[in-house]
Amino acid sequence: MSTVKRTWVVNGERWTVDLPPGRRLLDALRNDLGLKGTKEGCGEGECGACTVLLNGEPVTSCLIAAGQVPDGAEIMTVEGLEKTEGGRILQEAYIERGAAQCGFCIPGMIMSSFALLSKTRTPDDAEIREAHAGNICRCTGYEKIIEAVKLAANRWPEK
Amino acid sequence: MPATVQTRDPRWVGQGIPRVDAEDKVRGRAQYVDDLLVPNGWHGHVVRAPVPHGLLRGLTPDPAFDWSRVVVVTAKDIPGPNCIVSHDRSMPVIASDEFLYAGEPVALIAAPTLRLAREAAEHLRIDFEERPAILTLHEVADQFKHNDPALVKLCGQTIRKGDAEAALARAHKVVEAEYTAGHQEQLYIEPQGLVAEPTGDGGVFIYGSMQCPYFIVHELCEALALPPEKIRVKQAAVGGAFGGKEEFPTWLAGYVALLALKAKRPVKIVYDRHQDILYTTKRHPVWSRYRTGLNRDGTIAAIAVDFLLDGGAYLTLSDVVMYRGILHAAMGYRCDHVFVNGLVARTNTVPSGAFRGFGAPQAIWGLESHVDAMAAAAGMTPHEFRLKNCLVQGDTTPTGQVLKWSVGSPAVLEKSLERCRFDEQWKKCSRGKPGAKSWYGIGVSFFAHGAAFTGDGEARIKARAAMDLDWLAPGRPGGIVRVSSTEMGQGALTVLSQLAADGLGLDLSRVSCPFPDTALVPNSGPTVASRTTMVVGSCVYGAAGKLKKALEQFAGKPIASGKEFDEIASAYLNKHGRLRVEHLFVLPPGTQWDQKTFRGDSYPGYSWGCNVAEVEVDPRTLGIRVKKITAFYDIGKVVNPVLAKGQIEGGLVQALGYSVMEKIGIDRKGRFDASRMQTYIIPTMQDIPEMDLDFVEFPFDHAPPGAKGVGELPMDGLAPAIANAIEAATGLRMRDLPITPEKLYEHSQKNLGR
Ligand code: FES
Ligand code: FES
Repeated sequence: MSTVKRTWVVNGERWTVDLPPGRRLLDALRNDLGLKGTKEGCGEGECGACTVLLNGEPVTSCLIAAGQVPDGAEIMTVEGLEKTEGGRILQEAYIERGAAQCGFCIPGMIMSSFALLSKTRTPDDAEIREAHAGNICRCTGYEKIIEAVKLAANRWPEK
Repeated sequence: MPATVQTRDPRWVGQGIPRVDAEDKVRGRAQYVDDLLVPNGWHGHVVRAPVPHGLLRGLTPDPAFDWSRVVVVTAKDIPGPNCIVSHDRSMPVIASDEFLYAGEPVALIAAPTLRLAREAAEHLRIDFEERPAILTLHEVADQFKHNDPALVKLCGQTIRKGDAEAALARAHKVVEAEYTAGHQEQLYIEPQGLVAEPTGDGGVFIYGSMQCPYFIVHELCEALALPPEKIRVKQAAVGGAFGGKEEFPTWLAGYVALLALKAKRPVKIVYDRHQDILYTTKRHPVWSRYRTGLNRDGTIAAIAVDFLLDGGAYLTLSDVVMYRGILHAAMGYRCDHVFVNGLVARTNTVPSGAFRGFGAPQAIWGLESHVDAMAAAAGMTPHEFRLKNCLVQGDTTPTGQVLKWSVGSPAVLEKSLERCRFDEQWKKCSRGKPGAKSWYGIGVSFFAHGAAFTGDGEARIKARAAMDLDWLAPGRPGGIVRVSSTEMGQGALTVLSQLAADGLGLDLSRVSCPFPDTALVPNSGPTVASRTTMVVGSCVYGAAGKLKKALEQFAGKPIASGKEFDEIASAYLNKHGRLRVEHLFVLPPGTQWDQKTFRGDSYPGYSWGCNVAEVEVDPRTLGIRVKKITAFYDIGKVVNPVLAKGQIEGGLVQALGYSVMEKIGIDRKGRFDASRMQTYIIPTMQDIPEMDLDFVEFPFDHAPPGAKGVGELPMDGLAPAIANAIEAATGLRMRDLPITPEKLYEHSQKNLGR
């Protein structure tokens, strides 16, 4: 089987991967790069557990063919959060507010939070709901996630 | 009266400390089954019956396929009796001569890749003779109503208090109605998944996503022909369960264990979402019929209920789901004449199973809808009627149990009504007023939830917890909680750690609570029935107290500080090695229960709740928007208020889905018709209402420090509160869940002639 080689910047590090045809970005991250933090809840773009940032934009990595992600692309996963100040603030806020229960949706959810706060310093309620509408959580009822995002917004670093 | 008297001020209990596993979870480090490396592991795949009912004539392998690359398991490979030992022995691990639902396993295949396993499955021909099938609740409800002998009863049970028929005949008014609800999918976000590995001694090691490690051991040991100690089961991080990982993982464990033992290597099965929805248990569909009698003064003369559950193809746990259902079907109100007739009927569908609430939400859906109908017939408002008739301390339940302690009624009801100004808001309801731009309605429900197992269940399983004094790290002694209760997101590890720390009188850092492994923990019972904090937690608390006493005896002096503990514990460990102490749960003194007649103390205690829902309905589209929920709960002593609130919020949102969104039926081939996340719609962040939630504490003194169940309670009462609010908004009484705009429209055509 012919593979394609791609070089990406994942969580700030350069990675080169050999991708067989049909490899999903989710599998490339989990299996080729060993970044198991990102989860698969549906494989159909519906649950958002597989959300990562591709050049700063949240995407569902189960729907993206890894070969289509060009060389030089910047990818950020849940494992990369703690390397950023905002990421650490978000993680702290999630912990403080009790936003994670089973935790399975969280790697995707928190990436959506990060993408939102990176662009919108003080999101209102509607913006928060909109930004996480693609992330399904069956445990929390979302209340504490909203609280965590608000708390993190308050503490977000000045540029 | 309390079994153990608690004197010292608790330190950790009552504090909303962050979860002990939160850090791992927000960093993406928690390891769920699919994150674990399985060296030399193969992938398993299940070959399934294509139609809902048939006689299996044989399996014919395609000779053109190279079968040497895979391992195939059929019923013939099962070393022991082909059954899962649940509440009966009717369900085979793999169908052998007859199958009773579409998707029932007929063979298992393992291969180095999942693709190859699936390919092999396509080369295995299933020869069968199709038989007639019953597919829906409506069919069995019709059979029931017409006394049709074709109805297959999986089990039945009644509750009798006084003489309901005679009281109905005498009643001033009689109110009758039927209520139904369909399946509900648990939809934990982590799909089902397990790994099995053969162990050197002929046994098997099973690990992955599950609620009840000992269920797997005890339900499979016959089929695998292994003594229980040769089946070792360990939990991995669980990405949600809600009952969906209570009995189902035993089936899956059977598949992976049989494959692993035959292939002589580890085998893993992780379902994809489509398989997970198609082939795992759901909440039982329900049909209930209420006939109630009212006295002239607005009190309740009689309650007669028929309560029918669709159990699917096999009994599994359905008897106990029905028991919990009938025990809640007439609960909560004073009435001397009660008759409840409970029944589980067979359909040719995936066996229905455990889902948060376990029969109680289905019962309370009918009851609390019907209470509004009774209130109207009595010429009273829903809240006046409830306040007048609700059970309070000293009253007697339908099984004759006297509510002697820890009764959060009428407190939860009064507080909720006051908080949302129900009386004022009730007068503003639209009642389908023509010409309005939007219809507003408010509705209430009030309920109790039996905490822990039904009847003498707790006495029979003899739940135990252990505390080990051991090294947490070199030079660092501490207490290790050893229980079979699992962490599935509800916060068990955190709450049990808090209780252990208080029992020891130590800082949380001297306690650890690892995932259960049946090789290391006693059986503290399954992680179900909202019993973990109350029953297992109380045992942990007791065991920790005993551990402390033992150390104090060893030292000959009290332990007053962490430093002293470290010294004494280290000395003990160096001299004697590990110390294990256990504590057993005891039912309150005087508990009486007759499992035959269902008379007596059906639960050691009850949690109480009240939900108020406020809705807006668009008169043009009939779109329903739940705007606000106000709720008070009595869950006894609140061990961790942040986690408890999180349970309530999450449970209410699941209940919101059950009420107005989550719709799944059976198609003509006998399969679930909404088998993907695209079609099975659950609430997102954009659907959630404002929630105003609070607790009133009526501690349960017989299980120090006094917690009662919380997990299931928020699932119980929201659907009827919403239906009641929708009637107040539109004038339409909806009696079938979920309540959708389409159903509202159909109903309005019949009722209003619009
Ligand atoms: S796994 Fe990608 S959206 Fe669900
Ligand atoms: S925390 Fe369990 S799905 Fe979100």
